[in-house]
Amino acid sequence: MTATRRLDPQPGEVIDRRQRLSFSWNARAYPAFAGDTIASALAASGETVFSRSMKYHRPRGLLTASHADPNCTVQVGDEPNVRAAHRLVEPGMDVRAQDAWPSLAFDVKAVTGLAGRFLPAGFYYKTFIRPRSLWPTYERVLRRFSHGGVVSPHRPGSEPQRYDKRHVHPDVLVAGGGPAGMAAAVAAARSGAQVLLVEEDHALGGHLRWGDPVELASLAELRDEVAATDGIEVLTDSVALGCYDHLEVAVLQRGLAHVHERLVKARARALVVAPGLIERPYVFAGNDVPGVLLSSAVRRLVNLYAVRPGDRAVVLTANPQGDAAVADLERAGVEVVHVVDARRGGDVVRAVGRSRVRAVELADGRRIDCDLLLTAVGWTTPATLFTTAGGSLGYDRRTARFWPDAPRLPDGVFAAGGVVGDGTLEQLVEHAGVVGRAAARRAGAGSGDPPVVPELPRNPHPELFRGRTHGIVDFSEDVSSRDLVTAVQEGYSSAELAKRYTTATMGPTQGKVESVNVLAVLAEAIGRTIPEVGTTTWRPPYAPVTLGALAGPHRDPVRRSPLQPWHERNGAVPLVAGAWIRPDHYGDPVAEARTVREAVGIIDVTPIGKLDLRGPDVPKLLNLLYVNRWSRLAVGRVRYGVMCAEDGVVLDDGVTGRLGEEHYLTSTTSGGAASVWEWAESWLQTEHPDWRVHVTPVTTAYASISVAGPRSRELIARVVDDVDVSADAFPYMHVRTGGIAGVAGCVLWRIGFTGELGYELHVPAGHGLHVWERLLARGQDLGVRAVGIEAQRVLRLEKGHLIVGQDTDGLTQAHDVGLEGLVRLDKDDFAGRPELVWRAQAADERRLVGLWPRDEATVPAEGSQLVDAAGRLCGRITSSRWSPTLRRSICLGQVAASLAQSGTEVRVRLPEGGFAAAVVTEHLAAVDPEGVRVRA
Amino acid sequence: MPDPRRRPGRSRRYSAAALLRHGLRGDAWPPAWRHHDLRPSYDVVIVGGGVHGLATAYYLARNHGITNVAVLEKSYLGGGGSGRNTAILRSNYLTPEGVRFYDRSLQLYERLATELNFNVMFSRRGHLTLAHSDSSLRTMRWRAEVNKACGVDSEVVGPDDVTRLVPFMDVSHQPRYPILGALYHPPGGVIRHDAVVWGYARAGDAMGVHLHQDTELTGIDVRAGRVTGVRTNRGRIGTSVVLNCTAGWSSLVAGLAGVRLPVQTFPLQAAVTEPVRPFLHTVVVSGTLHVYVSQTDRGELVFGASVDPFGSYSTRGSVEFVEGVASHVLQLMPSLAPLRLLRQWAGLCDMTPDFAPIMGATEVDGFLVDVGWGTYGFKAGPVAGEAMAECIATGSTPELVSAFGLDRFSTGRLVGEKGAAAVGH
Amino acid sequence: MILIPCPWCGPRDAGEFGYGGEIVPRPDPRTATPERWRDYLYLRANVAGWQTERWYHRMGCRRLLTVRRNTVTGEVRPAAEAVER
Repeated sequence: MTATRRLDPQPGEVIDRRQRLSFSWNARAYPAFAGDTIASALAASGETVFSRSMKYHRPRGLLTASHADPNCTVQVGDEPNVRAAHRLVEPGMDVRAQDAWPSLAFDVKAVTGLAGRFLPAGFYYKTFIRPRSLWPTYERVLRRFSHGGVVSPHRPGSEPQRYDKRHVHPDVLVAGGGPAGMAAAVAAARSGAQVLLVEEDHALGGHLRWGDPVELASLAELRDEVAATDGIEVLTDSVALGCYDHLEVAVLQRGLAHVHERLVKARARALVVAPGLIERPYVFAGNDVPGVLLSSAVRRLVNLYAVRPGDRAVVLTANPQGDAAVADLERAGVEVVHVVDARRGGDVVRAVGRSRVRAVELADGRRIDCDLLLTAVGWTTPATLFTTAGGSLGYDRRTARFWPDAPRLPDGVFAAGGVVGDGTLEQLVEHAGVVGRAAARRAGAGSGDPPVVPELPRNPHPELFRGRTHGIVDFSEDVSSRDLVTAVQEGYSSAELAKRYTTATMGPTQGKVESVNVLAVLAEAIGRTIPEVGTTTWRPPYAPVTLGALAGPHRDPVRRSPLQPWHERNGAVPLVAGAWIRPDHYGDPVAEARTVREAVGIIDVTPIGKLDLRGPDVPKLLNLLYVNRWSRLAVGRVRYGVMCAEDGVVLDDGVTGRLGEEHYLTSTTSGGAASVWEWAESWLQTEHPDWRVHVTPVTTAYASISVAGPRSRELIARVVDDVDVSADAFPYMHVRTGGIAGVAGCVLWRIGFTGELGYELHVPAGHGLHVWERLLARGQDLGVRAVGIEAQRVLRLEKGHLIVGQDTDGLTQAHDVGLEGLVRLDKDDFAGRPELVWRAQAADERRLVGLWPRDEATVPAEGSQLVDAAGRLCGRITSSRWSPTLRRSICLGQVAASLAQSGTEVRVRLPEGGFAAAVVTEHLAAVDPEGVRVRA
Repeated sequence: MPDPRRRPGRSRRYSAAALLRHGLRGDAWPPAWRHHDLRPSYDVVIVGGGVHGLATAYYLARNHGITNVAVLEKSYLGGGGSGRNTAILRSNYLTPEGVRFYDRSLQLYERLATELNFNVMFSRRGHLTLAHSDSSLRTMRWRAEVNKACGVDSEVVGPDDVTRLVPFMDVSHQPRYPILGALYHPPGGVIRHDAVVWGYARAGDAMGVHLHQDTELTGIDVRAGRVTGVRTNRGRIGTSVVLNCTAGWSSLVAGLAGVRLPVQTFPLQAAVTEPVRPFLHTVVVSGTLHVYVSQTDRGELVFGASVDPFGSYSTRGSVEFVEGVASHVLQLMPSLAPLRLLRQWAGLCDMTPDFAPIMGATEVDGFLVDVGWGTYGFKAGPVAGEAMAECIATGSTPELVSAFGLDRFSTGRLVGEKGAAAVGH
Repeated sequence: MILIPCPWCGPRDAGEFGYGGEIVPRPDPRTATPERWRDYLYLRANVAGWQTERWYHRMGCRRLLTVRRNTVTGEVRPAAEAVER
């Protein structure tokens, strides 16, 4: 660390000299004041090298001294890629250079710089081709040279950073808090609009903050006006990332006390784009040597942070801002050795030095010793908000700048400040005020005709992009103008191809600093004008945004049935089924399955989709949605149905019961609950709006409990209040309503998914747990136990009941799964009918069959493939379990139709290797194929 | 202004030795491809200068000696889907036809760098598809078994293997998206998509194929049910063979020939982060969470997901996409929260009803299509090019792509990958 | 995302809706040939420009609505014939 370069207090400084801080840079302690950025504090201590360039590892110093500075990206603790010229110093911060080894001062990888002429942009496409086997090794070496900070794996117990989100609906969003932005915000608010004013830097003011005393006075006035005007919310250290469809603007808010970053999503009625201009570097030999800075960088360092950036300066200026930088330097005690006026033909040819500028060579041949070189050669218009909103920019030679194509600005988008014109501060402020009123009017605030926005003058500016020598164009990607010229010569002769080949504008600066220079160099190389070569289309986000802020607070909704507390207390192992958490088993699924076959088990089946259907035309809807017939379902009866899509593919299945004259309850698979409801609504609202049907989803309104087993009737009888459940009074495939355990409004139907005598109870959800516990209490002597989903799957498999989405897939039609008996082709129009008609006439391809492995102990994994005698793939196992009832393995599978006859042998390719023989069974059901037990 | 010190080198061939020579002598390399005026006619006109069109042109020349070929590209080579995808290559598909097809493509990709003399940087680092539910695991098993039966290396692995392959993955208790296992596919990986385009373009150009950039199709002339020529913004070309190799615009181009397609165009968005030191050495995919993650050799993480929820021709992108993808990536690797997103973009995908492409002849004689590639077009570039070249040269559809004909939609014989659409997610 | 003008709820973010796609007239299933039926199932105009299409306000009023949307610019307008019951 060398002697301090801190100046005496400056009128516009943002540092607080009463608060001294200390932080570390590459493990050494450095001082700072509150308000310093990492870069300004280091610069105040005399540091000049902040990083090494990406490819050639050349030493790099400050260039723009702003958020977009490509040369001062550092690691702060666990956080990679921090912009040191924007991030404020905090006490105890641990800051390190990225990707320089062993140290920033002496970086071994700088050897690549020596090889520069052999490693031009894109060199890797021309080499590492042979031998092919060595490519992985080449790749490992290349990865070592990748550039960037470090992310660490998750450390259990560490406190994660907090992020959150906010949604706002401002009338007018003003992007940019410089003089134009502030004036537009005030004018819009005074017209009655709610305004959100977003400023990227830590305080409002834009370029006024490092201005002369007159500008500082105007700054204070404008700030006071903003503070005094109602209806303006100000977000500083916040940046508009992009304007998406229909004026949805994403804003990243940083620098909050308790939250690392916040994503503010704004839906605005009008957008004012006032981001100011970004200064452009000049391209010449040595333009990336530390000590070569932009004029705005120096003005920031001197005026905001009271840092003297050097002792002997040469200034290349082409505009008043460059001239003002000369004045600032002189005030700061820097010896301005020479001013090169580009407006009078002056030019700089080379900056000499490696870790620090030592001298500058001018066009007239003179060589001037110095340690600081400033350039002020023009401006880049930040395009992101314009182009993301759907606008475009055009280049004008006279002013050497891109301007928004005003007539084609999208509706609701306005622009103010430097991006639309020059002029005095008064002119810019007045213009911005009119823009603010126009924006407010557009947003519906204020009255009268929308004001007409006047034109601002546009000052001529010499076109200065590249001097007479080649230099760095994209600092963050280490792409030189020579690389761009070479790319054009090699045929990558359009802007896009040249950028992709050289990676220019594809690095962390994303074109902010370099895009215009890239276009200018390409235009020169291609032999065309800048507009002919291309325009700037900047992609969002305008500034890099953390994944944490984009993700926001961690939210993972899950769905649990009302019986969940009981499951958890009783050792249920959770099963994830969509968003539902279900009990897979309670410790012994085999015993649970046996209980259902031998006594009685209860299963929580709440996730089953349920739709309440009411109205005189419900049968018409059922006939339309299901492949089978529903016109003559009597009150109190239940029927199983299958739904197909318009192409005949099986969509869903379930039972529907008629509870009353015009009242039905339909069940669907749990995964299909939402989609079947939408399916029904789409038919009712489009093709049949005349049908009188009301559909209400009641999946979560009821807790659903399956009570199954030879003793289920006995158990049910003990808990129902007013329903006759005797065998004659309550036959198979019937439905009853009534009270259970004191709970009114329950629905019971007698169906048999598990193949045993069984019932499904639908209890108003709030009382589900009560009924569940009552069943367990009342059935103790009957041997009742809770049964999980795994056991249910085994039981249904033993009965050959298919699961839509497991035994069927996106191509399976009704015939393929043996359901053709259900299909009533003589019905009127129903979903899927046409294809089912034609498929009935065509040869089938796949059939669902039962399969028993010859070896009873072999349980092939679901998904295992089947092969025929010739070894060709001919199907797969869709369901497979060991059956506790039969004490052998049983499967369902899809096989080629030609192999689907009972008794055919196929071979199963076992995942662990080898084959197992399996035989096609006569029925899908392995247990009780005649269905005697379920009708008991 | 060309630098007078740089002379064109003698050799076009790329190699480390040539790089050394050119560096020492300050030579310029010859252009990778040339600019041509439009000929009045060509034997074959290929519409679309992405990997499919350029590969078809290359294989027409190389395998069949047909070089009087024009590739028409309305903007810059590879400016469509080929320049916007997340560059993931794999062959771990569900159906045997799919597996064989994509495996052939991988075999071609494997030797592409040496064949084209252009380093396409194919990194076979392994591909992991996570399973978050038992139904998803079942589908992974189905895919693994089909892959193995077809000779492709895939296997179902457990959570411990997942942690070993991806140390940053959080496999601890996650109620909603537990990591129960994954489909591990070692031959899968990533490639430099632009390099594939440039490699095919340079090789095709060297054999005499004409590459016409900034050339937009404005019409297709059809007389008595057969193609007689095309019209462009640079003039008319006579031809009897036109191949539609576009993505996003395939319906428009087909419409110029009077052909209707079963295609809907959807944006597919992607995003990239700032570079960080390498830590992710496998491609990670989650079907349930709809997210793809890989890390480039430059250190950037590349994210992809599924297509936008509604169809459009917009490549503007949405903030909802980056929010969603960030949320899902952090679900898997929570310590990446401080990593910053740098840029988002989108390409256009033509989605078909059965998640399979449309290749071959149409009802208009001489108008062929290689379209409908959805979100899986880039990985099929070489095999599609090879097959379409054969189709054009021999007049008959190769067996490998016989299931992908346009007529399958009128016969109702959709392709098996649709089978996966309804299961296991 | 884009805003969809729901006739009952006002303009809402497209994320609240399910997308129904371009409206394709449904042929009479009793008389349609297989080719005609499959045209309806699979072929689409896929317009780059103004398209009439359906949306379903899944996280709102649960109604289906019809709009005119420009698939290139994203502009959306209510359709003259909104679906009503």
